[in-house]
Amino acid sequence: MENLLYVWAGLEFNFSTLPQQLVNGLITGAIYALIALGYTMVYGVLRLINFAHGEVFMLGGYVALFVSWGFGFSPEALQKNPDAQSSALILVIMILVAMAACALIGAIIEYFAYRPMRNQSRIAALITAIGVSLFLQYAGQIFLPNSPPPSIAQQVNPYQENLKFDLISAPKETRDAYTAAKTESDNLKQQFETALNGRSQFDDTLTDAEKALGTQAQEAQNKVSALEGEIAQKSVGVTITVGKLIMLVTVIVLMLILRFLVMATPAGRAMRAVSHDFESASLMGINVNKVITFTFMLGSALAGAGAMMLVTFEGTAIHPFFGLQLGVKAFVAAVLGGIGNIPGAVLGGFLMGLAETLVVWAGYSNYKDAVAFVILIVVLLLKPGGILGSSKVEKV
Amino acid sequence: MKKLGFWNAGLIVLALGSLALMAGCKPKDGGGESTGSTGSSSSTSGETASGDKINIGLIASINGDLRPWGSDCRDGAMLAVEEINAAGGIDGKMINLIVEDSNSKPEDGKTAAQKLASSDVVGLVGEVASGITMQIKSVALEAGLPLVAVGATNPDITKNSDGKVFRVCYTDDFQGPVMAKFAFQALGKKRAAIMTDNKQPYSQELSKKFMAFFKSLGGEIVTEEFYESGQNQFTGQITNIKSKAPDVIFLSGYFTEVGPIARQIRQQGLNVPLLGGDGWDSKELVTSGGDAIIGGYFCNHYNNKEDRPEVQNFLTKWNEKYGGEPATTMGALGYDAVMLMIDGIKRGGTDKAKIAEALNNTEGFAGVSGVINLKDHNGDPPKRALVVEVTQDGQKFAKAYEPDEVFN
Repeated sequence: MENLLYVWAGLEFNFSTLPQQLVNGLITGAIYALIALGYTMVYGVLRLINFAHGEVFMLGGYVALFVSWGFGFSPEALQKNPDAQSSALILVIMILVAMAACALIGAIIEYFAYRPMRNQSRIAALITAIGVSLFLQYAGQIFLPNSPPPSIAQQVNPYQENLKFDLISAPKETRDAYTAAKTESDNLKQQFETALNGRSQFDDTLTDAEKALGTQAQEAQNKVSALEGEIAQKSVGVTITVGKLIMLVTVIVLMLILRFLVMATPAGRAMRAVSHDFESASLMGINVNKVITFTFMLGSALAGAGAMMLVTFEGTAIHPFFGLQLGVKAFVAAVLGGIGNIPGAVLGGFLMGLAETLVVWAGYSNYKDAVAFVILIVVLLLKPGGILGSSKVEKV
Repeated sequence: MKKLGFWNAGLIVLALGSLALMAGCKPKDGGGESTGSTGSSSSTSGETASGDKINIGLIASINGDLRPWGSDCRDGAMLAVEEINAAGGIDGKMINLIVEDSNSKPEDGKTAAQKLASSDVVGLVGEVASGITMQIKSVALEAGLPLVAVGATNPDITKNSDGKVFRVCYTDDFQGPVMAKFAFQALGKKRAAIMTDNKQPYSQELSKKFMAFFKSLGGEIVTEEFYESGQNQFTGQITNIKSKAPDVIFLSGYFTEVGPIARQIRQQGLNVPLLGGDGWDSKELVTSGGDAIIGGYFCNHYNNKEDRPEVQNFLTKWNEKYGGEPATTMGALGYDAVMLMIDGIKRGGTDKAKIAEALNNTEGFAGVSGVINLKDHNGDPPKRALVVEVTQDGQKFAKAYEPDEVFN
């Protein structure tokens, strides 16, 4: 399988890791897409870029954190009871509470910050959005735990086992050699630990024989690592934890629910009408205020779900600025797909995730972020409205 | 879009500007607070020192990303001032610590330093991060003030400093090689992969030093992958690393990203040991890293469990004043930095140049974080480094490296 590695012009294309990288990209993209939906829906109905959306996402992360603490997974509680067990029910409660809280926050922001500005110039609304964003970040610094940035304990996530899908398996000899090496390494480690008898392996009082045993154990472990790497190089496959699989499925389910809400319910129809023509919709008896509140709640709930899954399954450290970078990326994704267009946001999100991961795959992880913006510039040059957006140039 | 970008940038600058103004007002309260601890009436920084007071300026990241370290540093510094004043100050003169907030930002650090330099301070102490310290250094050199950096490990800090810039920590020139030596000799690892935080000069420098020394020992660097602080998905880089079959991974960034990275490394079925620098030092590391980080090793400045009298004295006082133990080593380094400055004032008087000269002649200063010698070392004290193992309930001492034993 060595021929799966192509080097061209300094770029390394290792095709044996490509399937894994595509899966990585999909998962990254799923979160972008979920946040991008919030930007795009609000833009759709209000022509407003809700810069505070990233902060709603941040607050969703905090809500999930607090709920997990409430279930006994705070660092203090875990110290007393390290074997606390989590369950699917706890995760469901966490995601629902995070979604509900974010929906509420979204509605509040809309009511107090954006509604009074609705008849003002667009730039005034935009400044308000930036103001709300900064307000939430800095208020969060004062009122939310952030020193050091907390994160959700690993124990909250009961789905940590790995699933391995092999497209091409490593040769049997390699796998057998790995099993043998692993047994030997475990054996030596056991012996060494018995010999140490509670002392540190770096203790000065070790005898020469014990040191030699330690070296032997280390070498056996290195051999295991080497064989592990050989297997990784000679096989083509995907490793994914159950938790991330659940994350991906949840995102897709949420998107389907959103599609149903927008396409098949009266509220969704009203939303589409407002998005199509704000004035006429209100003349036709649609309660525009209600529709806008509904849109904000919908978008914010999605952000809450994304935040909960990210912090639970990845262990991301939560601090008041943690929504900033993801928010910008998701905004770019929304513009890329065509802002105001719901399928566009999903497409843009997945494209961004895949593009970033492929850049890393080609060996250019230091340009990961730059690429996202290069893609944006290129797409906007060719299609100013975004991939699925209207061709009408929007002046924002 | 072009228009949006323009407005956006303009607005953010405006908004940040006004925030900076607001923040600029805040440290006055901080200053008042700390002067309170000296027992004298509160004074603003505009009020210059009268005959019975000696002003020292402290710049700390009390807000922003570096707050865990910054607030510990401030608390340690205040503890030191309190201790000296309780013992009668210097020749009857009380020490007055004026604290300014850098908001974890280099530009705010510079403003804070300028503010302090224009008031009547005899020396500056700070910062915990190298990027901010660089800015403070330029102000200090202009004003001729001696500067003692707290946790800035970047080697450039003390270069071209006219004998006025010192630090109480080791440098990345030392820390990187320590971890390389530990990986190669103590753990017997031969193939290392590196993950570097491209947004942090600290991480870049540390990776570079680790890489160079690991290679010089005969090890192989199989790959270096990059990320930026603030990101949360590292799976792409980890997949690349896995395909290169390393037997150890060096994570030179800060704990906020190291935790999730460690989790994601294990999620991909990669089970090699993880190593890092002093940026790992936080209680939160175990929560964010979970089981994945347990058994990892990093380089630290000192250890709360050491039985040297300085350490025990410091911990007792800390516990009396704030309760518990300092969450990061910056508590001890902040304490040491201020103590060193006070030591310089004791030996050099209140003349700025004389203090710098006295600091340059420091020999055998017994700090909490170890003995500090500055004579003939251009501001960089040779200090020993401790390699500690991450355990479920904190850190366990693994191995100490003396300054002279690493490079031979």
